[in-house]
Amino acid sequence: MSDEKVIRSLVIKTFHINKVEFSKKTYIENKVLYIRDNIKDCLIDNEQAFIKDITIDLIYPDNHDMFVNSIMDFSPIATKVLGKMGEGITHALTGVYVMLTGVDETGIQVAEFGSSEGILKEQVVFGRAGTPSKDDIIIHVDVTLKEGMGIIRDGINSAHRACDKLVQEIRDYLKKMNGRLCDERYEYSDIIRPEKKKVVIIKQVAGQGAMYDTLLFAKEPGGFEGGRSIIDMGNVPIIVSPNEYRDGALRAMH
Amino acid sequence: MGVGPSTKETTLHHFRDPLLDVVSKDKDIDLLGVIIVGTPQANEDKYFVGQRAAAWAEAMRADGVIISVDGWGNSHVDYANTIEEIGKRNIPVVGLSFVGTQAQFVVTNKYMDTIVDFNKSSEGIETEVVGENNVTEIDAKKALAFLKLKMRKVGE
Repeated sequence: MSDEKVIRSLVIKTFHINKVEFSKKTYIENKVLYIRDNIKDCLIDNEQAFIKDITIDLIYPDNHDMFVNSIMDFSPIATKVLGKMGEGITHALTGVYVMLTGVDETGIQVAEFGSSEGILKEQVVFGRAGTPSKDDIIIHVDVTLKEGMGIIRDGINSAHRACDKLVQEIRDYLKKMNGRLCDERYEYSDIIRPEKKKVVIIKQVAGQGAMYDTLLFAKEPGGFEGGRSIIDMGNVPIIVSPNEYRDGALRAMH
Repeated sequence: MGVGPSTKETTLHHFRDPLLDVVSKDKDIDLLGVIIVGTPQANEDKYFVGQRAAAWAEAMRADGVIISVDGWGNSHVDYANTIEEIGKRNIPVVGLSFVGTQAQFVVTNKYMDTIVDFNKSSEGIETEVVGENNVTEIDAKKALAFLKLKMRKVGE
């Protein structure tokens, strides 16, 4: 029996990256992602009230034996090309993910309920849904916040905003890439399946304050800019369609 | 107490969430949507948002609910309450949570009889290793299988 009804479809086209390097400008060519080497200055711009310094480095699979500050997030590099969140076309990179880490200038790790600073290979189980695989390249954005800024929401937001600015520069290029040249193509649909058991997924997410927050519906998949905080929405239940969820409706802020 | 490094779901986790993947792919399930509910500080607010989430499930005429949480301790107060509110509405509910040895439920009720514990650490604790105590595909499949059983019992 197949009287399934498709409400909307989302196509995610992925482009694989096997090398990341710093360069004069940000672009992608022959599976190499180049990142503008002076990008750091524009990330700190307007964030001086919260951020003391940012370091961006590229971590290759053979270099997991290094110290990192507490891991605030792993996030994808993805962008809307056509349509709104949950429909149309999204481009995403594979083989490379972003890791945001944070500490304040007095050495206090940015965390809420236990922190994860230490040797990278000991602090991450690689290959889970929420972590890169062992073979992926990691763009490491390490933020040093000003004293005390790691425990207030404005400080945490500032770190995420700066990190998102870097990703946006990559997204702006990724958006323009020829979709026909993608490496993989996935199609997802919001489907009504009449007569089948109707199920709802409820996800209880963080919503109390600094390092305990969740953003929804940013402008870009898994992004920060334009996102609405569950705290500011009073923590009340918000409905997200399966396709919106897959298209990066949530950003973890904890 | 809230969300620790080993249980927290990163932005990347949400982007390729195994729970959503498993439930949406199942051709015997009509997935109505995902409800995102926060974890407020005050007890009164905890009860309020949990009750509203359950009211949503009822209004959507859900036959079943899977509820997942990536925090514990204080977050389990909200979690237990939301499950109770759903259960009271006669909607079968299955939970996913980190429990292990360290995060035994601080409060519980009769509707919390099917909770899939996604602890992966051998000691059953918050290890501060990112990704360790996260929901995997197998956890999601278990939860859905339990829910199907519970929904079938209601239908009998």
